[in-house]
Order: sequence, then structure tokens, then C-alpha cells
Amino acid sequence: MGAVIHAHDVRKRYGRSTLALDGLNFDVAAGRIVGLMGPNGAGKTTALKAILGLTPFEGDLQVLGRDPRTERDSLMQDVCFIADVAVLPKWLRVDHALDYVAGVHPKFDRQRADEVLSRTDIKRKSKVGELSKGMITQLHLALIMAIDAKLLVLDEPTLGLDLLYRRDFYESLLNDYFDHERTILVTTHQVEEVENLLTDVLFISHGKIMLDSTVDALPSRFSQLVTSSDHVAEARALRPVYEREVFGRYAFIFDISKGGAPTADELAAWGDVRTPSISDLFVALMNGGNSTGMNSAGVSAEGAR
Amino acid sequence: MNLKVMKTLLWRETWEHRGLIWAPLITAAVIVLTALLSTKLTGSIRINLDGKEQEIFATLSTNLSHQQQLFAVWLGALVIPQMIVAMIVVAFYALDSLYNERKDRSILFWKSMPVSDAQTVGSKLATALLLVPLWVWLVSMIASLAVFAIVSLKLGGTPLAPLATFYPGAWVILQLTMLQNVLVAALWYAPVVVYLLLMSVYAKRNPFLWAVLPPVLLVIFEEVAFNTNMIAGFISNRMFGFFRELDLNISPADDSTSASVMHEISRSYEQLGTLDMLATTDLWFGVVSAVIGFFIVVRLRRWRDDA
Repeated sequence: MGAVIHAHDVRKRYGRSTLALDGLNFDVAAGRIVGLMGPNGAGKTTALKAILGLTPFEGDLQVLGRDPRTERDSLMQDVCFIADVAVLPKWLRVDHALDYVAGVHPKFDRQRADEVLSRTDIKRKSKVGELSKGMITQLHLALIMAIDAKLLVLDEPTLGLDLLYRRDFYESLLNDYFDHERTILVTTHQVEEVENLLTDVLFISHGKIMLDSTVDALPSRFSQLVTSSDHVAEARALRPVYEREVFGRYAFIFDISKGGAPTADELAAWGDVRTPSISDLFVALMNGGNSTGMNSAGVSAEGAR
Repeated sequence: MNLKVMKTLLWRETWEHRGLIWAPLITAAVIVLTALLSTKLTGSIRINLDGKEQEIFATLSTNLSHQQQLFAVWLGALVIPQMIVAMIVVAFYALDSLYNERKDRSILFWKSMPVSDAQTVGSKLATALLLVPLWVWLVSMIASLAVFAIVSLKLGGTPLAPLATFYPGAWVILQLTMLQNVLVAALWYAPVVVYLLLMSVYAKRNPFLWAVLPPVLLVIFEEVAFNTNMIAGFISNRMFGFFRELDLNISPADDSTSASVMHEISRSYEQLGTLDMLATTDLWFGVVSAVIGFFIVVRLRRWRDDA
């Protein structure tokens, strides 16, 4: 089977000057859980909108072999999305929401949605406006999980939810929905929340893909060295892509796939070596690759854990 | 187009806009109540008889066909206030329908379903032009029976007693005529509804102002610049043209002789059907504009990207 998403030189311009997507190139294979990550304004949502046929763009983009610009209507039989939280209208009653999806979606299994809903406290006669934000997300997820789609797109699906709902959301997604044939594309800026469930990562910044890798390939690509201040000079000499200081200890991230880069064994001479977490990598690469680390206030808080 | 999908989409509209269902029911209830409480015998019919009821109804009771015609005109006229209320409700519905979904961002949910923009816009157009009018037709049918029952009880033994006869055949023909009217009205008002949908899908905020201001400004501009009012005439023709065609007032010339009243009854009866409008270029000009407008609305909803 071909790629679920194939993007080649996808460009999108807002107005005259803002380039939201600056030549995106990537492929997403079937059965993957891909995290599309980037800082605010990096182009995540625009990329998703292009994939979902919600916005015009230039370039070549195929989703399940179809062009979302011209074949959106048939595409949506196989693609589901939860765009942001709380887009279910307040006036909609829960049982009507079920009736609606059952009426318009040929691949909706109502029994399954009922099953998922019965595990929650959501009443059938409640209106969406009477539900808490967490319950609205549960309802939306129950509707989506009962649709036999090939691609599920999630755009910040847990934004504004408390911890328990967030954990539940991803747990049910992974346990009850994902079956290694479906493909999930998720954007979030709460990287640590999804890093354990992803199989692939796509980092995007200024409308460009900065990193496109499977999670399995990360150890052979990046190493993180944690060392004391004694070895800072030696470590810097090895040209880390990122550096940061936490409580007197120094952490360096190296791209060990580059020619001339140190191997993990060489690094081990200077301190503890491990594979950086996705959130560490995110901070490292999204800071523009320079090694001062603590500049951008938005992401340094996340990295300082 | 898939019938099950269309049915679901139409139901959806009634879930969001309960008023579309309730307004005709409430209007009908008010009309029935008025007939019940009215101290005037007729309660629901306007006939200017100059106190010559005795003479005119004596003539009428010997003239079956005129009596049937008056029966039909009377019950038919009951529909008009219900139509006017429904039109106001439908106008606000059309203005809201493609604006609210962007305002509350639920458009992202609707667009996550395999429903095309043409289906969505089509369902809103069908709600405004067919679903609600057919509902009004149904409700008014029941209401007119109730009003007839009430009035006929009151009329027993008065000079107006001939009005208390029920003519099943005339009644069925009246309802079929009204059904025709629903369809003619749908064609006549299609461009108006499409215009409202267009403003609804286009306006960043306040679609009501977007819908009302341009025509008002155009009318003022034309009046001031050229001292003419063709635009105003054009708009009022579109808004009220259908009701000019459906003119059911029985107001005979001042002499009010039996003969002139009979003549008026026949004239009004002729007015009950609006099929003649199908022969006017105005109507078809409107239909063509509506079709073009429909595609513009669909396109705007397809690519509108500000939710």
C-alpha cells in the first residue's frame, strides 16, 4: 500500500508576505502514529487544513491517493478529524449527534459509539452546552472512534482539558481505536503527553519540516550527553546541536548521524549518554539549532524539566 | 443525492432552529384562538358588506358555486398570516444558518463528515423553501378546519348561516391549490433566500446588517443621484409580488350590490391560485439568479478559511 499522505513541495501563502507552508515534503505510511510538532505559528494547523482540504494550497499533496482540493467529498469517507476542542455546537443533543453521524456517515457503527458513551457519565438527552469540556471531548471521541476511517487527524485534541481527561483520551485512542492499520496524525505542543505513543515524529518550523524520523531511528541519530562543568569545553568542541544548563549540570545534544560527529562511545568518556526524549529534541531543534539553549521563553520552560 | 443523508441534514436544521417548527404552530394556535374569542360572527374573514348581509347572503344561499368559492377564499385567506410569520422566521434562519456554524466553529465538525458543501447548502435552501412551507401548509390545513368548526357553530341561525356549510370537494381543491402555491412561492422566493444565505456565508460579523444595508444604500443612492426608484420597485416587487398575486380581500365597488359582491367573490377565488406566475419572466429570472447564487454560496463555504 502506498503512502497515506504524500506531500511534495506544498506551499501556502496568507496574504502577500506570510508564508505559512514553505515547501513541505514528507510521507506518512499506513499504520503509523505521527506527531506533527512545532511552536505556535509554525504551520501545523495550516498543514492539517491542507491535508483535510479545508484550505487551498500549491504543490502536490495526496491523501489516501486523493487530492484534498478536488476530491474532498470522497476523501472524508475515509478521513476523520477532531480539530481543536469543543467544536460540537452547544445546541446539539447527544442522541441527535449520534443520529446525525449515523445518518450521514456510511462507516459509522452506532452500537460501538453507544458502547463507548455508556462508559462515560454523558446523558443522551443532554445538550452539548450542558456538558463539561472534558465530556464534550469524550463525546467527540466516541463519535470518531465508531467510524471505520483509515486516517484520523487530531489537532490539539486535548487543549484545555485537565490531566485525567487528557490521559483517558490518549489511552482510549491507543487501546480501543488504534489497530496498526489505521493511521493517526496528531499535532500538539504538549510534546511530553504524546511522546510515548508516537511511532514517527515530524517537526515543523516556519513552514518547513525540520525533522522527519521514526521514533525507532532516533537513537541512531541523536545522543544526549549530561556532564559536569569540567567537560563543557570538550563537549562544545564536538559541535553539539544544543546545549543547556540545569542545576550546574550541562546537557548537550549531538546529531550523531552527521559525518565527523562523535559516536555514542566517544561521548561516554565525558559523562552520561542516553537518547534524548522527544521533548528534549523538540526544544533543541526548535530553538533554531544554536547552542545557547535558554533564549526562547516559550519553549525553554518545557525543556527545563 | 443520497436520500438518507438529505433526511438527516433536514432534521439537523430543525434541531438547531426549533423556531422553524414552533412558529407556525404558535401562529396557527393564535388564529384559532382569535376565532374562538372574536365577538364578530365571522371572526376571520373581511367582507365589506355595508350592512346588506341579509340581501347578499340570501342571494348566496341560492348560488351554490359562489358559496363554495366564498368558502374557499375564506379558508384560503387564513393561510396568509401564517405565511407571513413563517417568512420572517425563515429569513432569520437563512441569515443565521451559514454564519453561526463559523461563529461557534462547529463548521469544523460538520466538515469532518462526508457531506459535501453543496449538500449542506442545499439542505438549508430546502429547509427554507420546502420544509417550512410544507409544514405551514400542513398546520394551516388543520387550523382552517378548527376555525371553520368554531365559526360554523357561531353562525347557526344568523344571516351568515350559509357560511357554515362545509364543502369537502371545494376543501380538497383548496388544499391542492395551496400546495401549488407553496411550490410557486418556493420558486419566487428562491433568489431572496439565496441572497440571505450568501450574506450568511460571507459576513465576518452581523449578517443582518450585511443583508439589509446594501439594498437600503442602493435605494438611497438611486433616489438621490437619479431621483428614480427602480431598485426600490425591484425589491418590493420581489418581496410582495407573490402576495399581490394572492389578493384575497373581498372589497366590492362602493355600491355593494349582490351582483358586485358575487363578482368580487369570483375574482378573489381566481386569485387563490398563483400558477400564472410561472408564465412570468420575473419568476424565471429569479430562479436563474438563485441557481447562480447557490453555486457562489457553495464555493464560499467550501473555501472559507476563518473558523
